Amino acid sequence: MKRRCVIIAPAILAATFWGGMALAQDKVLRFATWNTSPESIAINQAIVDQFMAANPGVKVQVELYGDGFDDKLTAAMGAGNPPDVMYMWNYPSYREALMPLDDLIARDGEAMNLADIPAGLMNGALIDGKIYGMPVGFTTHVVFYNKDLLATAGVAEPADGWTWTDLRAAAAKLSNPDAQTYGFAVDAKPDPFDFEQFFWSNGAEFISADGKTLDGVMNSAAAAEVLDMFGDMIKTGEAVALNIGEQTSGSDLFKAGKLAMMEGAMWNKGGIDESGVNYGVAVLPAFGDKPVKSTINASGISIAKDSANPDLAWEFVKFFSTPEAVAMRTNDLPIRTSVAEAAGMTGDPKLGPFFKMLAVSDGTVPAFLKNPEWGRIQENLSVAIEATMIDQGNAQAHLDEAVASSARFLQ
Amino acid sequence: MEPTPATPRPSRRKARGAGITPWLFISPWILGFVFFTLGPLVFSFVMSLHDWPVVGERTFIGVENYTTMVQYDPQFWKSLWITVKFACLFVPLNIVLAFVLAVLLNLNLRGSAIFRTAFYLPSVISGVALATIWAWIYSNEYGLLNYMLSLAGLDGPNWLGDATWAIVAITIASLWGLGGSMLIFLAGLQSIPKELYEAARVSGVPPWAQALHITLPMLSPMILFTLITSIISAFQQLTIALLLTDGGPVNSTYFFAMYIYRTAFRFHDMGYAAAMSWVMFLIILALSMLVMRWSAAWVYYEGQVRKDDADA
Repeated sequence: MKRRCVIIAPAILAATFWGGMALAQDKVLRFATWNTSPESIAINQAIVDQFMAANPGVKVQVELYGDGFDDKLTAAMGAGNPPDVMYMWNYPSYREALMPLDDLIARDGEAMNLADIPAGLMNGALIDGKIYGMPVGFTTHVVFYNKDLLATAGVAEPADGWTWTDLRAAAAKLSNPDAQTYGFAVDAKPDPFDFEQFFWSNGAEFISADGKTLDGVMNSAAAAEVLDMFGDMIKTGEAVALNIGEQTSGSDLFKAGKLAMMEGAMWNKGGIDESGVNYGVAVLPAFGDKPVKSTINASGISIAKDSANPDLAWEFVKFFSTPEAVAMRTNDLPIRTSVAEAAGMTGDPKLGPFFKMLAVSDGTVPAFLKNPEWGRIQENLSVAIEATMIDQGNAQAHLDEAVASSARFLQ
Repeated sequence: MEPTPATPRPSRRKARGAGITPWLFISPWILGFVFFTLGPLVFSFVMSLHDWPVVGERTFIGVENYTTMVQYDPQFWKSLWITVKFACLFVPLNIVLAFVLAVLLNLNLRGSAIFRTAFYLPSVISGVALATIWAWIYSNEYGLLNYMLSLAGLDGPNWLGDATWAIVAITIASLWGLGGSMLIFLAGLQSIPKELYEAARVSGVPPWAQALHITLPMLSPMILFTLITSIISAFQQLTIALLLTDGGPVNSTYFFAMYIYRTAFRFHDMGYAAAMSWVMFLIILALSMLVMRWSAAWVYYEGQVRKDDADA
């Protein structure tokens, strides 16, 4: 509730303020974001303010869609009244309403300096050889660990190259259900987009490269092995299961010192920093000697195809990609290698692992980019994951069922 | 000075105006209905005959959305079944509990005003707040409900984490808002003439027979109304399920309304969602008509002389 007020109050103030201002301005650019935290709202606003200072006569109207981002964007696009510029990650769903940026990027090649942006961050926005958005920030996935809990239990801190076997052994020592402390946490309802990293790390995939085959892919032995491993961690008590009827998050447990190790991303870091837990960050563990991969969550910004101010919109996107603007985004990671290096992030013990994960994770293609009906197939996969965690095993049967239920979306 | 006629003759202007005035009075409602109910209703039917993505080409596909639903979409049937199960739990319980509470409050015991307010209060709480409260109550590890059960020596289930219990949990949470039905029953009870009971008492009619032959028939219009509105709200159940379980665990509370919502706003398939909304509309319409037809057999309106009574 408190958080709501914090979000809504400034929004109303801002809307009133801009409503009055807009009358005096001639050009208004609408910019829709999914930000909800005061911190990220403030960061965006600061970048917007700088853009407006550099472009007199231009008013950028920030529209905070928050948690209802997809609903509101869908409605706005359906009504033919989309914002000019918007946050974007689900490019396949919206691509028909988005403007390809290739020509503009080529025109302003020098300013855009794509060589400074890791390829893994551009991949998400690339469909059929066209770029539909520019990344503005990203995170990869890592393991956060509570240094104090590890030290007390006499468990060595994780190092690069560690495996799930190492993690499980450590978690077994760290778990103490009587004291309600746990070695690790397994989410029964993960976002499948984030979960695919475990499939990749075990040499599996959600769907075939051409997006047409699920049987033998989503329900392969390697895939079932991943799910069974997590189910087994719940069964043995090495891990606590999250999201089975409870709404306590892993992050809450970690911040309360009840969880020794947690898989997470940049969005967890701010809260953990605030909690005062003495923590470290490690790369994701590998499945044996297979190469470990992380999901790359890149936020981008896109221009609506029907924007009334396409040139101005592009200037805005360009501004977001400048090293200055990139450096201002302190709540996720900089998309420009130069900015990350200049700030010493790549060598930082708590930030370095994110960049290590980025470096090894190029070359993976998330499932939603391969099949336009992925949103629906994913529902069946989610059920399989959840059912395995509830059963504490039996992954093969659940995955087979998911494949069977999804057959009609492959035609 | 001209003499004023005792009864003013209606002027021509007045006569013409008389035709419009009533319409003007109801125009806010008519306009609202046309633009915000009938218009979207017709539009959604048109949508349901199209492959209608949010962005991109819309193509006319006739009744394909409807045939897909029936023939190829197992989730349609599953969600429908879950909704029917919920309705079978919710509708009778809602009516019986509201009725019982109303009867208790009607006894005019001390403090009944406080209880009346307390029972009605949940009805005015927003669905979001209600779901938050119940999420705490149902929590497996820290929840109030399982704590109470443990005091009684019972080991409560993981209410929201168990595929069998989740729908029961949602039913209980939904029943919490029965204050509205309860008030309707209470108003009905208080409007039953006392003389009927007095007459019954002097004739030696036992209390249970009074309830059966006086209270129930006199309340039957309210029961009918509550029955129909409960059926409608059961089929439209969305908020509590969305917030409490989000369709889980393992899709066991994936209600029909939730499937429609996700089809529209997650899968961006407006045509299919519109078609499913129409199916829901038709189901509710059919059920309401059945209940209305059946009601002739048991609903008694005061002042109405039933044909068979008159014949007798």
